[in-house]
Amino acid sequence: MLSGTLPNVFLGRTGIQSDIWRQQVTFEKGKTYLIEAASGTGKSSLLSFIIGYRHDFDGRILFDGTDIRRFGTAEWTNLRQEHVSILFQELRLFPELTAMENVEIKNSLTRFKERKEIERWFEVLGIGDKMHSPVRQMSFGQQQRVAMIRALVQPFDFLLADEPISHLDEANSQVMASIMMEEARRQGAGIVVTSIGKHMDLPYDKTFRL
Amino acid sequence: MRLVWKLLRRHISIGQLLGFFLAGLLGMTIVLLSLQFYRDVRPIFSEEDGIIRPDYLILNKKVSSLDAIGLGSAGTFSEREMKELESQPFAKRVGAFTASKYKVSCNMGIDGMAAFGTEMFFESVPDAFVDVNLQKWHFSEGDDVVPIILPKTYLAIYNFGFAQSQNLPKLSENVVGMVEMTITMRGNGLSESIKGRVTGFSSRLNTILAPESFIRWSNLRYAPEADTTPSRIILEVSNPADDSILHYINNKGYEMEEDKLDAGRMTFFLRLVAGIVMLVGLLISLLSFFILMLSIYLLVEKNTEKMRTLLLIGYSPSRVAMPYQLLTIGLNAAVLLLALGLLCLVRSLYMQRLRTVFPDVGGESILPALLFGLALFVAVSLANALIIRRRINTIWKG
Repeated sequence: MLSGTLPNVFLGRTGIQSDIWRQQVTFEKGKTYLIEAASGTGKSSLLSFIIGYRHDFDGRILFDGTDIRRFGTAEWTNLRQEHVSILFQELRLFPELTAMENVEIKNSLTRFKERKEIERWFEVLGIGDKMHSPVRQMSFGQQQRVAMIRALVQPFDFLLADEPISHLDEANSQVMASIMMEEARRQGAGIVVTSIGKHMDLPYDKTFRL
Repeated sequence: MRLVWKLLRRHISIGQLLGFFLAGLLGMTIVLLSLQFYRDVRPIFSEEDGIIRPDYLILNKKVSSLDAIGLGSAGTFSEREMKELESQPFAKRVGAFTASKYKVSCNMGIDGMAAFGTEMFFESVPDAFVDVNLQKWHFSEGDDVVPIILPKTYLAIYNFGFAQSQNLPKLSENVVGMVEMTITMRGNGLSESIKGRVTGFSSRLNTILAPESFIRWSNLRYAPEADTTPSRIILEVSNPADDSILHYINNKGYEMEEDKLDAGRMTFFLRLVAGIVMLVGLLISLLSFFILMLSIYLLVEKNTEKMRTLLLIGYSPSRVAMPYQLLTIGLNAAVLLLALGLLCLVRSLYMQRLRTVFPDVGGESILPALLFGLALFVAVSLANALIIRRRINTIWKG
């Protein structure tokens, strides 16, 4: 839940028209949200706040009623391992590792997914042949799919996807969307997708304009 | 863990780590070696005397030229003088040296062959002044072995003078205890032999000491008429550094036997030199510690983004810090082990040398050096691990 949240850099601005900033917003498990944003409206900042990467905001962000400013190292680590998964806009893959290793390094934390299932995802997303190629040799669109698989190999209550399909064609976007929905449903988790242009085709429960 | 290591080992500079390793090895080896060398060599300098305690003083009268022509008091202490000394505030106990008043000769043999024969004499002090197990320091009439204590210089004379020139083996104190000694006593028309066994060496006594009971018995037997007023006395004081002792002794015209070898000063210099060398070793170790930390800092700097990503996808700071912590601990352990190996090697070399001159050395264990090295390893590794963890924590905070 966000309560009157605003990035510090926006503090001086007046006339902010937003469905999120300075509003009372609650994200619930099991629901799907789309945040549409023009660039420069603080989309990535919002996700950074939620994941605990940045703390330069005003107002409050709460998980199940607990203010995240009260979280210590152990709470954040647990949150990132078990409760909130994120697909970064800039992907944050490790270029020196292979695609599979990039997924494994995440999966080894919780041993959440079987190797077989991970391999199946690679196949379904059309990068089965790239499984053991170094990520740096892959196109951005291919890397986006690897990053998606990495985001799915952990238990989560919410999946945050920051512009997940910016470099994907329609067919691959569809596949990715269905995998994401399938996994989120299985876990009973909520999905928050951001987009500045074309957005993933999902049955959104609510759309916010940032 | 394997993947994390694969990720974080990038940018490791072998050159820097090698630099640390060599400097660390040098520092650690110098530290351990100085400690061990000090411990190995100290017994040679410190004439610790297990027989006559340092708060026992040995006094005699100055020998004047009158004594030489037989006109003085013969340098003996009268009953009255001893009573007066005993009543002084600094004195705790006074004992007289009693000398043998008959002719004594002694033959020493090794493997049944006579090797060394000399005229000699005995003296005794009250048994309470001799710090030897009283079971060993014991004689009663009818015994065929008499325990004796020799001055340490005798052993030195034998080892460095006699044995060397005659190609005889050098003897340690323990071996001398096994040497067979035949003592022949003549006087009062008798000539009898008895076995002697060396039970100890003293560096503070310039005499051959036998149990009091033996001297009393033998003087009665071989020289019943002789006068036994003492020419030397032994004095137990409460504080040997007390000025009034020296004052009294000078006033009375007595002389105090001083330790011939200024062991205290030698030990002081030994400690000073060993301390300086160890300090140099510690400085080099400290330097190597900084090299390692600098290297790790650079490594963390170059890998910061990767570490941040690891933290963001759910790795805890302790798991991210672990590869570098293990790396430093492993390096430190390698340094310790190799330094210990070098220590043993160098020690065996210098001990060989030392043993040819001082057969008694070598009883010191290397355990203290080992423990010191281990303590240094633990301290340095802990510091390393802590610094790395703090570095990761700053990444965590952004």
